[in-house]
Amino acid sequence: MKTRFLHGLRPIITTGLALVFGTALHAQKLVIKGSDTLGAKLVPVLAEDYRALHPDVSFEIAAEGSSTGLAALIGGTADIGMSSRRARANEQANGVAKGVTLRPLVVCYDGIALIVNEANPLDSLTKRQVEQIFTGDVRDWAALGGGAASAGPISVYTRNTASGTYADFKDLAMKKRDYAPTSQKLAGNEQIVSEVAHNRNGIGYVGLAYIGAPGIKVVAIEGTRPSKESVLAKAYPYARPNFLYTNGEPEGEAARFIDYVLSEAGQQRVEEIGFVPVR
Amino acid sequence: MPHRLPSENSPDFSIRQRHRRIFGLTREDAIRAFFGGHAVVAVVVLALITLFLFREGIGFFAQQRESFTRYRQSGQELVDLLREQDRAHAALGRELGELRLRMGAAGAAEFADYEERFADAALPLRELAGELGDIALEAKESATAATRLETVAQLVAQYPQIEKTFVELAAEVNTLAAEWGKLTEASPAANLGAGAAPKNGPPARAREMVYAQKRLRAYVAALPVALEEIRSWSATRPVSQWQVVKSFFFGPQWLTASFWQDFYGVVPLFTGSLLVSAIALCLAVPLGLGAAVYVSQIATARERRLIKPVIEFIAAIPSVVLGLFGIVVLGQLLRSLSQVPWLAWVPGFPYAERLNALTAGCLLALIAVPTIFTLAEDALGNVPRAFKEGSCALGASPMQTTWRVIVPSSLSGLCSAVLLGLGRVIGETMVVLLCAGNRIAIPDFTAGLGAAVQPVHTMTGIIAQEMGEVVPGTIHYRALFMVGLLLFLIALALNYTAQRLLARYRLPTL
Repeated sequence: MKTRFLHGLRPIITTGLALVFGTALHAQKLVIKGSDTLGAKLVPVLAEDYRALHPDVSFEIAAEGSSTGLAALIGGTADIGMSSRRARANEQANGVAKGVTLRPLVVCYDGIALIVNEANPLDSLTKRQVEQIFTGDVRDWAALGGGAASAGPISVYTRNTASGTYADFKDLAMKKRDYAPTSQKLAGNEQIVSEVAHNRNGIGYVGLAYIGAPGIKVVAIEGTRPSKESVLAKAYPYARPNFLYTNGEPEGEAARFIDYVLSEAGQQRVEEIGFVPVR
Repeated sequence: MPHRLPSENSPDFSIRQRHRRIFGLTREDAIRAFFGGHAVVAVVVLALITLFLFREGIGFFAQQRESFTRYRQSGQELVDLLREQDRAHAALGRELGELRLRMGAAGAAEFADYEERFADAALPLRELAGELGDIALEAKESATAATRLETVAQLVAQYPQIEKTFVELAAEVNTLAAEWGKLTEASPAANLGAGAAPKNGPPARAREMVYAQKRLRAYVAALPVALEEIRSWSATRPVSQWQVVKSFFFGPQWLTASFWQDFYGVVPLFTGSLLVSAIALCLAVPLGLGAAVYVSQIATARERRLIKPVIEFIAAIPSVVLGLFGIVVLGQLLRSLSQVPWLAWVPGFPYAERLNALTAGCLLALIAVPTIFTLAEDALGNVPRAFKEGSCALGASPMQTTWRVIVPSSLSGLCSAVLLGLGRVIGETMVVLLCAGNRIAIPDFTAGLGAAVQPVHTMTGIIAQEMGEVVPGTIHYRALFMVGLLLFLIALALNYTAQRLLARYRLPTL
C-alpha cells in the first residue's frame, strides 16, 4: 500500500523538482531599486517590454526613493539603482569604502512640475514665490496675491527624504535651503497628486509623467509651462536628468537591459509615458 | 514524582515502573527541559534584542558630538544665529500680515506698504547670512580642524559688518514701530474695524493694534541680546556631552538630508506620537471600558455571545488595511464633516488636510478597543463572586453593585488594560505612516484642542519612512536606532507599570 502511494506521487515530485531547478538554472533575476519617479511607471513598463523579448529574465523592482536605490547598490542588494538625482559626495565615499563604484547613466530627462488644486485661481508663479512657498517664508495664499477666493494657509506637500526629487527640488528651486517645517512628506508622486487634488489649499511637485491626473492644475513658472519641448530647450527651470546607477561598468543582463532602455524602442516608451527621451 | 523505587526486595510492591533514560533524563525530565528551554530562549532573545538596540544606538552620541564640533568649527553655528534672527523677523512680519488680513480689504492699502518695508528691513541681514553661509559651507568641506578654523577666521573678521547690520536693522524697526503707532491712531480701518462681525467690533481691533505695537517694541529690545550672543560665540569652545544628549532628547527639529546641517531632535516625533495616542485613548477608553462593563455585568448570555467575538474580531484586521481605509475613506469623510457649517463651533473645524492626527487617532482607537476590552473584561471577571453576592444580599440593585462594588474593585485591572492599550497604540506603525500626515514639526498647541487636526509625524513612522535610505553605520542610521530604543523603553515602562499595578492590587481569591 505504501509503495503504491509513493508510486503515484513520483511524477508529481519529479515535475515539481524539475520546475524548481529548471527555473533556478535558466532564470536571470534583475533587482532594480530606487527612485519612485522612475520606478512607479517607467521602469516596470520597460521591464515588461524587455520580458516580452527575453522571457527568461525576471525583475524585482522596488521604488522607495532614490536614496534607497543608491544605498541598496552600495550594500550589494541591487543590480541597478534608479536615481532621479546625482549621487552625493558622501554616497560616493561610502561606496568606495565598500568597494562599489557608482557609475551613472542618463536614461531620460524629467521636468519637476508644480501642481495646485484646479479650483485655485493661480496660474503662474515666479521662482522667488516658489522658493518662498516651499521654505515657509510665505504661509498664506492671500500673501501671494491670488485673489480673495484663494485665501487660506498653504498646504505644502513634498516627497520624503529618501526621494531624489526632494533633493533636486531643493537644489533647483529653493537655493539649497531647507523645506518648511509645516510641509507634509508623502511617499510618492501619486500620493502628492491625490492630496493636492482633494485639498483646495494644496500645492506640490511631481514628475512630468503625472501631470495628466484629474483634479490638479499645472502652474507655469515665469511663463514657461513644463513640457517635453520646454525641457529639451532648457527653457523650463526645474529640469533634471534621471539616472540608472550601476557598480562600475554594467555587465551581463544589467548591461543588456540598459542597452534596451537606451535603444530606439526603449526611448519611444519613455516618451509615451511622459518623460523626455535622451535623443 | 520520585522515581526511586523502594528496594526490589520489598514484597509489598507488585507494580514496577520502567524508566527509559535518554541522555540521562527520564521522559518527564525531558519534557520539562523542552518547555523550560523555550522559556530560556524567549528570555535570551529579548536580552539580545535589547543589547543590539543599545549597541547600534549608543554610537549615535559620539558621532553627533563629532558632527556638532564640525558645525561649530566651520562657523555654521554663527551663521545659524544670524539666520535665527532673520526667521524671527519673518515670523513677526507674518503676524503683522495676518493682522492686516483679519482687518479685511479696508486696511490693505496702508499696511501692505508697511509690511513690505518691514520685510525689506531684514534683506541686508539675509544677504550677509547668505555670504557667510557660503564661507561656512566651504569650511565644513575641509578635512582637518586646522583648515576649518582658518576659514572661520574669515567669518570672525566680518564681525564689524554683522554689528553694523544689526544696528541698522534695529534703527529701521524702531522707525517702523513708531510709524505703527501713528498708523493705529490715524487709520480709519483700525478704529472702525470695517467689515468685521459685531463681536469683533472696534475695541477688539484697537486691542490688537496695541498688542502689535508691544510686539514690535519687544523685538527691538531683543536685538542687542542677540548681538551679544553673536559677539560671545567662539569656534573653539568644546561641545559638551550633555549638549549632545540634550540635542537628541530635547531637540526641537528633526532635519535630515539637508545641504546645510542635519539635526536629530526627537521632540517633534515624540509629541506627534503622544498626540495621536491621546486622541486614540480618548476615543478607545470609554468605548472599550464601557463595552467591557456591559458585556461582563449587564448583557444577557445571548448578547455576550454576539458582542464579544465581534469586538475581538477587530483585532484581526491587519493594520495596513485600516491605514488604506483611513486614506481612502475616513480622511475624506472627517474633512467633509468638518466643513459642515453648523459644526464650526468645534475647535479646529473646518480644516483642509485629510491626513492628520485626528484620522490616525480614530483608526488607532479602533485598534486599541479590542485590547482594552479583552483585558478589562478579564479584570472585571476576576472579581470574586462573593463581592457581587454579598452586595446583592445587602440589598443593592444590580446597577449599584456594578458601579459601586465591581468596577472599583477591578480598577487596577482596568488601569492596566488602558496602559496596555496605550502601549499597543504607541507602537503602531502602518496606520500612522499612511494617515497621520507626515509633518515633522511640533504641533501648534496655541490652537488649543485644534491641534488635533494638524498633520504630525511619529517615532514609529519616521523609522519606517527613513530606514530604507540609511547606510548602516552612519549617524542617521544610529539616530533611527536611538528613536527605536526610546520607543522600546517606553513600551517596556508601560508594560512594567501595567504588570506591577495588576500584581500589587490584585484581590485575594475567595
